[in-house]
Amino acid sequence: MTHDLRLDRLAKTYPNGTAALQELSAEIEAGAFVSLLGPSGCGKSTVLRLIAGLELPSRGSVEWPRGRAALGFIFQEPTLMAWASAAKNVALPLELGGVAEADAGQRARAALDKVGLAGFADALPRELSGGMRMRVSIARALAAEPAVLLMDEPFAALDELTRGKLNDDLLGLWTERRFTGIFVTHSVFEAVYLSQRILILSGRPGHLVADIRNPAPYPREAGYRTSPAFNATARDILSVLEDVST
Amino acid sequence: MRLQLLRIILPVALFAGLIWLWEWSVAYWEIKPFVLPPPSAILAVFETDGPSLLASAWTTLGTTLAAFVLAVISGILLATLFASSRIAEAALSPYAVTLQVTPVVAIAPLIIVWVGLDKAWLAVLILAWIVAFFPVLASATAGLKAVDPNLRDLFRLYHASFWQTFRRLMIPSSLPYLLSGIKTAGGLALVGAVVAEFAAASGNTNGLAWRILEAGNRLQIAKMFAALMLLALMGVILYALLSFIEWLLLHRWHGDRRNT
Repeated sequence: MTHDLRLDRLAKTYPNGTAALQELSAEIEAGAFVSLLGPSGCGKSTVLRLIAGLELPSRGSVEWPRGRAALGFIFQEPTLMAWASAAKNVALPLELGGVAEADAGQRARAALDKVGLAGFADALPRELSGGMRMRVSIARALAAEPAVLLMDEPFAALDELTRGKLNDDLLGLWTERRFTGIFVTHSVFEAVYLSQRILILSGRPGHLVADIRNPAPYPREAGYRTSPAFNATARDILSVLEDVST
Repeated sequence: MRLQLLRIILPVALFAGLIWLWEWSVAYWEIKPFVLPPPSAILAVFETDGPSLLASAWTTLGTTLAAFVLAVISGILLATLFASSRIAEAALSPYAVTLQVTPVVAIAPLIIVWVGLDKAWLAVLILAWIVAFFPVLASATAGLKAVDPNLRDLFRLYHASFWQTFRRLMIPSSLPYLLSGIKTAGGLALVGAVVAEFAAASGNTNGLAWRILEAGNRLQIAKMFAALMLLALMGVILYALLSFIEWLLLHRWHGDRRNT
């Protein structure tokens, strides 16, 4: 189940000439929760797409020293099939992977249970709120029990309260399953609250400007958001961001 | 509920009123029957010429449906080819567009000469197909291209095969586009069939358009009206049927579209 991930001088220039990412090197240990933090346009999402294999790097490589892990991906939008029920959406990765329909359906319902949508298995996406759709998306990403979960600003479009709740739920799932979490965000506070480690990217093309550890233990409860330890880490990050933007 | 009832009653009442006004006006102003026959005379035509008119309607309907089915199948196949290969689209779409923008009445004589007057039905079928084909192609192509790129990525991430992606993603997400194109194609197939019958202008086609031409030449205006009414009825039924199918397939995930 454990897969380390090594990004080796990873760079991406798109065919139209846009340089998105410049030489990113980092090692991510199995089971870690890491955030990629930076202003928009610094190539954070590109890193995720390169890790997922949805794009090929222009230079450098994505290496899996212990074999390529099964991946889950959560997009910025819920990205659900509008014509299929919540359960059908969640079952999709399983069915594509060859799991029999009945079995996949059962596992999908269990995954929906996990994200607090027990009664909504047969609901269509349009019948759900934005936060609930995001939960379906999380359930879908976790249904196939991936070793690595890639998240591309998944909660950016949600209101503050829903976002906080989903952050807690996500940490709960991570504590339980111990997948490797790679979380892209441009919110300093979200990054601090969730992660053990924060990689700060900046510039166009993006490059690594800081690699900050957040030693605060889990489980992190609501009180952590207002604690001195939280503030200290957030201050470190903000000062790095200020340095690079001036 | 009362509002819904009114929505049915009002048009029916208006229709009955108009028919009555028509009948009364023709009698009151003594309009000549070869200018405007009264509704009663048109109804009488169905008594005398009913079987021959119905047989013609049947012929036209057959051509329409055959052209429609061919248009739907060929449109979807070509759109799939366009969506999966840009080179194919670049190479072929100019011909599809040219075929579409050239007036079918202008192509008709050529097609009839090629196919031969003895097989006028085939010429009519081809022409109706040409008219009905394009909206299916255009809407299916647009639909296949409008697939959410993130969902496409998701399918790639889970190593979905071409067939899995096609069946589970491409078809359902392009369905609303496709169905609106198919609805248009149904009406156009009828238009195409009638125009082609006119262009062929031959008893060989034996469709409703030929009945209209024939009756016009003999100044049987009531019979022209009767044929015209059958055509309109056919068009309305076709449209209603396709709208219903669209509603059946889409209402669950697109909301109720009956009123749009």
